[in-house]
Amino acid sequence: MSWEVDYLAIAPELIIIGSLFLVLGLDLTLPRLKKYWTATAAVAGSALALIPLAFLAVEGETISMFDGSYVVDEFALVLKGLFLVTAYIVFLMSVNYIESERYYQGEYYLLLLASVLGSLVLASARDLIVLFIGIELVTGPLYLLAGWRKGDVKSNEASLKYFILGVLSTAILLYGMSVLYGLTGEITFSGLAEATAAMPNSPALTMAVLFLIVGFGFKISAVPFHFWAPDTYEGAPTPITAYLSVNSKAAGFVAMLLVMYLALPGVSDVWAPALWALAALSMTIGNLSALRQTNIVRLLAYSSIAQAGFMLVPFAAAAVAGADLEEAFSATVIYLVIYAVMNLGAFGVVIAGARTTKSGEISDWAGLSNVDSRAAVLVAVFFFSLAGIPPLAGWFAKFVMFRSVMIAGGAATVVLAVVAAVNAVIALYYYAKVVKSVWLDDATREFPGEFDEPPAGSLRLALAISVGLTVVVGFFPALATFVADASRVIAAGG
Amino acid sequence: MSLAEFGIVFLRALMVFGLLLVATIVNIWAERKILADMQARIGPNRAGPFGILQTVADGLKLFFKESITPRKVELGMYMLAPFLAVIPAFLIFMMVPFGRPFTIGGNEVALVGADLNIGLLFVLAMSSMAVYAVVLAGWSSGSKYPLLGGVRATAQAISYEAAMGLAMVAVVVYSATQGDGGTLSLVEIVERQNGTWAGFIPRWNLFPQVAAFVIFLLAIIAETNRAPFDLVEAEQELVGGFHTEYSGMRFAMFFLAEYINIFSMSAIAATLFLGGWSGPTFEDSVPAFISAILPTVWFLLKTYAIVFIFFWLRATLPRLRYDQLMTLGWKGLIPAAVVWLIVSTISMGFRQFGAPWG
Amino acid sequence: MVEPILFVLMSMAALAGAVTVVAARNPVYSAMGLLGTLFSVAVLYVLQLAHLVAAVQVIVYAGAVLTLFLFVIMLIGVDKEEHWEEPLRYQRSFVAGMAGVVVLMAAGLTFFTDFDWVPAAVGGTDPSRTIGTVQAIAEPMFTDWVLAFEATALLLTIAAAGAIALAHYRRRPH
Repeated sequence: MSWEVDYLAIAPELIIIGSLFLVLGLDLTLPRLKKYWTATAAVAGSALALIPLAFLAVEGETISMFDGSYVVDEFALVLKGLFLVTAYIVFLMSVNYIESERYYQGEYYLLLLASVLGSLVLASARDLIVLFIGIELVTGPLYLLAGWRKGDVKSNEASLKYFILGVLSTAILLYGMSVLYGLTGEITFSGLAEATAAMPNSPALTMAVLFLIVGFGFKISAVPFHFWAPDTYEGAPTPITAYLSVNSKAAGFVAMLLVMYLALPGVSDVWAPALWALAALSMTIGNLSALRQTNIVRLLAYSSIAQAGFMLVPFAAAAVAGADLEEAFSATVIYLVIYAVMNLGAFGVVIAGARTTKSGEISDWAGLSNVDSRAAVLVAVFFFSLAGIPPLAGWFAKFVMFRSVMIAGGAATVVLAVVAAVNAVIALYYYAKVVKSVWLDDATREFPGEFDEPPAGSLRLALAISVGLTVVVGFFPALATFVADASRVIAAGG
Repeated sequence: MSLAEFGIVFLRALMVFGLLLVATIVNIWAERKILADMQARIGPNRAGPFGILQTVADGLKLFFKESITPRKVELGMYMLAPFLAVIPAFLIFMMVPFGRPFTIGGNEVALVGADLNIGLLFVLAMSSMAVYAVVLAGWSSGSKYPLLGGVRATAQAISYEAAMGLAMVAVVVYSATQGDGGTLSLVEIVERQNGTWAGFIPRWNLFPQVAAFVIFLLAIIAETNRAPFDLVEAEQELVGGFHTEYSGMRFAMFFLAEYINIFSMSAIAATLFLGGWSGPTFEDSVPAFISAILPTVWFLLKTYAIVFIFFWLRATLPRLRYDQLMTLGWKGLIPAAVVWLIVSTISMGFRQFGAPWG
Repeated sequence: MVEPILFVLMSMAALAGAVTVVAARNPVYSAMGLLGTLFSVAVLYVLQLAHLVAAVQVIVYAGAVLTLFLFVIMLIGVDKEEHWEEPLRYQRSFVAGMAGVVVLMAAGLTFFTDFDWVPAAVGGTDPSRTIGTVQAIAEPMFTDWVLAFEATALLLTIAAAGAIALAHYRRRPH
């Protein structure tokens, strides 16, 4: 039994906790008009937490704590970096949005920081209990934040749907975990991997694994567990929607992949077909539904469902084909990182554009290029990147995905690759539709909002970071491959 | 479990039961006498010497009176509520050691209903059960005032339970530093308070934990719905509160439960803070049977000292307003209990492990 | 011999309580049914020597959560009974059928497989069996699982803060 704590290894978590308490204290003591300091504390906290991360990355050691249930290795560091950077961008996007609409500010940042903390814990979790607490810490605050626009019926609906389905999925997930624990008596991933590999396949084990997949399926909003996503995305405050579609989805992915890859490699014949079906269904149904959307946020919601399908493809394909999971794992992580950046940018530009259009309908965005050319350029960048058009970052994500499928080989894999290819084309259509509306269509009306003033500095910074990353990674994909190297470490260290 | 063991368990339960009934009779009489003295009245003086049999007479009267069942009551819950009031009240006292263990025919008899590993948690559990009786009585009466009393009781019980629990935690943590590891058993907690500091100050938890004691005392007064926190049965506002529609024996059971609760909560306070039955027994200078009884006498004295505070406050303080009650609970007692818990735990940590930088 | 009898009695009480929760027309009776179930399960925990879990079950669920249920029921209208009109046809009969199937399966499994009575209290009241005591649970909780424990504490804080922020109605925006 060793419970020596390496404080440098958990320094990012401690900094986030510190800024969380700082926000709490500031919210209690500051007068109402000074509450924006809570935003400053949150932004500073998420930026500061990156510093120890850099130290840890330079050191490059694998640190294992609490009997191996909390591990800080390069894989965890990459994911923590991803979570912190995306959280930083979301905080920047929130500042003016939250202040101008007169929501509760202190509690907003408090809850969002708690969610970020959950994702940090999740990235290091190497046993079921810590993993579960991490997931809960990520999603728990989001149930509340989705309903933050209290006066808006749609926001109430968003919160309620997300809450009810989320709690249901949590129950299913927990049930699967408890059955797994009951069958094996193990709680750590390494212990589970040994125990399940040695076990004969039983109905109870199959059920437990399927329950886990259902539970995680809700968190990553994969079809057929996606029903909450469009309504929640539409009703929630837009920065929260961005966070939901990026951080919380990434957290769900990380949790699912960790469990499948580290804890249950021995029963891949159970979960591989399930993931295959999830991937195919998510891509197809997500894309086909996105075609019919007229609201830009709903379109992004369905697009993120479809993207979840794309992300699953490498892992599912490799597992079905029985190929090397390591390669597939890193492909999925690369896709996740690139998707996070460009999707955040897409939501950022929706916030920026909505200042002018005051509407979420795509037809109301027609002719935006005439009045706000910078926003229009950004719309083109992010949506084409999501579609996977080179030289923007999205192409590399798709390229890595297809390459890993080709490496895996096998009939089922080829089918999945064909499905993915067809879907990539469908996706291009609706992404291009938005860009066409912004650039080529004539404005059908006077724009109600302001467009003379540039958006707030924090929002511009958020957009600049995401557009920078999207373009740079697109031109120099080598930058993203260190992610791949890092995620291979997990095979040895985890 | 042999027959003798079973017999001892049964005997212990019976002892607790008898003690509580007698204590209640004395309590009610004492309250009336003390209140009368403080208000310059005479108080009960007819039945028996100093009117000490007044309670027995009242009990008999209530026993023979008709229990009226109003037409609009929810019958099942209406009948159940008085029992739900009495049972937890009795069970709480089962955890309290009220004397030093003695030996009968080779078997050691601990003077306690039951010594559980989770003793204090059991006390908390049972005291939180007590609220059901009030709530159900209020609701099932099918009448406005009892319902209001019931709703108030729920909010009050939940608010003050937290402060009570936190005050207990501080004591448990302190008591863990006084012996070998932490314990929740009340028997152990009493034993750890045996002895003296510097030869004459008893090692009661009261002295190092005085803030916890004050918080605990306020919380138990609120938990038992006594003045000045008796909004549940505020006569001027709610007629009689939750028991307005009760009469006869059913009413007597609520009454009994209230006084048992006062007594057992005072006993818990005496056990946690005043050293329970511990005290000088003068084993060398008095006959053996007296030194065997003395611990129980100390225990009763300490308990009645706290019971007296209950009566004293009732005679002195006017009732709080509802919002004052809630403010005191949530913004006063709970933060105070948390702060005290943190402060006292940190100082104990220093004493136990030394400074982290040293 | 005490254990099997208590087990059967308490299981039956738990089931009866659960049925009451669903079947009672009056929400207060449903809540009391839930109370019965929670208590019976607490006794089952004691039979498994999990004293702390039993105590926590009673304090948290029966003492606080259910009290709040009752509070809410009473605040939002106490004399309204539920209507028995079912928006989804056949739902009730379907559920009843499902319940029957489950009961039959359980009975069949019990009857036809090697079902053996395994008393939980193998050591009886042997003091060396301390798996469920407060000390036995506290030790790992504050050493090996301290991280998960603290994270859970934070989760609860967050839930409280968020619930207040969502529920609090500010009359005049600043």
